[in-house]
Amino acid sequence: MSEALDALIVMAYRQLKRFRRGRARLVSSVVNPIIWIVFFGLGWSNVFNFPMARAIFGGLDYLSFLTPGVVAMSVFTASFIGGITVIWDKQFGFLKEVLVAPAPRWATILGRIIGDSLIAVLQGLIILGLSFLVAHSLNPWGVPASMFYMLILSLAFTGVGVSLALKITSMEAFQMIISFLMLPLVFLSGAFYPLKYMPDWMKIIAYVNPLTYTVDGIRYWLTGVSTFNPLLDLAVLAGLAAIALVAAARLFSKTTLD
Amino acid sequence: MSQEKDGFAVVVEGLVKRYGRVVAVDGVSFRVGYGEVFGFLGPNGAGKTTTIHVLATLLRPDGGRVLVAGRDVVRDPVGVRRSIGVVFQDPSLDGELSGWENLYLHGRIYGLRGRVLEERIEEMLRFVELWEYRDRLVKHYSGGMRRRLEIARALLHRPRILFLDEPTLGLDPQTRAHIWDYIRKLRGEMGVTVFLTTHYMEEAEALCDRIAIIDHGKIIAEGTPDELKKMAGNDIVYLKIREAKPGVCGFFEDLVMECKELPGGRVALKVKDAVKALPRILLRARDRGLDVLEASYHRPSLNDVFLLLTGREIREEGPMDMIRAMVMSRRWRR
Repeated sequence: MSEALDALIVMAYRQLKRFRRGRARLVSSVVNPIIWIVFFGLGWSNVFNFPMARAIFGGLDYLSFLTPGVVAMSVFTASFIGGITVIWDKQFGFLKEVLVAPAPRWATILGRIIGDSLIAVLQGLIILGLSFLVAHSLNPWGVPASMFYMLILSLAFTGVGVSLALKITSMEAFQMIISFLMLPLVFLSGAFYPLKYMPDWMKIIAYVNPLTYTVDGIRYWLTGVSTFNPLLDLAVLAGLAAIALVAAARLFSKTTLD
Repeated sequence: MSQEKDGFAVVVEGLVKRYGRVVAVDGVSFRVGYGEVFGFLGPNGAGKTTTIHVLATLLRPDGGRVLVAGRDVVRDPVGVRRSIGVVFQDPSLDGELSGWENLYLHGRIYGLRGRVLEERIEEMLRFVELWEYRDRLVKHYSGGMRRRLEIARALLHRPRILFLDEPTLGLDPQTRAHIWDYIRKLRGEMGVTVFLTTHYMEEAEALCDRIAIIDHGKIIAEGTPDELKKMAGNDIVYLKIREAKPGVCGFFEDLVMECKELPGGRVALKVKDAVKALPRILLRARDRGLDVLEASYHRPSLNDVFLLLTGREIREEGPMDMIRAMVMSRRWRR
């Protein structure tokens, strides 16, 4: 068991080490959410700068409504893309080094997922820090709780990303899935506008979109405004994370070079 | 547990591996004893890499039985993985980490830690002469340095059996000589069993105790390099004699298997072992007052054996190798 733990820890360490070396990845993944906050958020916050507007966003100014959503989005994106590194490892051959090792496969893949998740949470925290500069109704005491939500979210979607990457051989196919899946999921998560104003068919998708529950949960802890019970949010996320991690571990255990 | 069945490091019986309809390995059987250096020699696409991947538990066989270190690769892959080190043909290092970090990562995955791990990393890096470059990122290593680092990494956890898939493919002659040196030391000093594949005849001949020649997924000959070469015929000694008179062959009758007089004072003598026969032949020539101007011998090469068995040559460094080397270096540069 301690061998498995060793393998897990060192695989997480590898992801962190690689991340520290590859600064470009940090910059590119932080810039995108900042663009959303500044050019999308600041713009619309002036549009919604009239007394009745706050009622639309549960009593919040628009930036305070938006930023928890963007934080969730950035963690989600970073996690999902973390899965792509598995495809890199396939192409650059490092995956074989892990496959031929006696360490339990579940431990090596879980370690790598944890490493990537920590990176994603770190990126989320950077965005959250910046959010405090522009949004005025965020509650600093909610940060630890939202961090926890971010971590679970990130474990879930790194797990999904890794599972997909294990099944998919080409980088192009992975990028196609990302563009087909990621943007709609973000738009249908309630990050940019409240769920209750969505057309019914959209609402249905939003309700099955796990990202919805993350946005909702993080928004609850940072602003007190939410659609669902934050414990329900957590339960949905934890359920997804459990499924995704088991799936990733199973797939990796069966992985051969065939 | 039948630990180390009959003392063999590797036992392969009737191994079959298919990719779709293509049969990559077609009923291969062989055994490798502990402490042996055993080589698979064959052209590209003969099934060498596929065989190594099956032995290393990375591909499931479609038929036959494979035991490595006494353990079945299908039933107990983890047991096999504990006893082996693998150097793949294509790079499998993490280019974003330093040489030292690559070994550290490997050691931790294999359950090593602390002082023991650090000492072994130093030992192995010194063994492959990369200690000075330990802190350089692997993406800045040259092709030869990477291959040496892979060897160091594969040995770090002290495996009993080392698999090397085309260990010197695409390397310059100097690096190749280095790697041959390491492999010889492995057997000599560390007692590691080595299974290697190659399509270089000199490599197989220089390193291996026994060789299996493989073509189209089948083993077509197996034996020590000498045994194999004997298959292609005997050694031939050539002499050039000043003012040779007809009938010189008579002088050597009892020393050689066959003798032929060639034009220009040249004589061809068929012998079992040229190296041992040559001094005796020269002595005899002096006794009979013959003035030998030149002496040489031809010994059948493994290429002659392959030619004899398949009617083709094992392709030497050809365009495919060049392309492969280019693709490999391109991949790393990204």
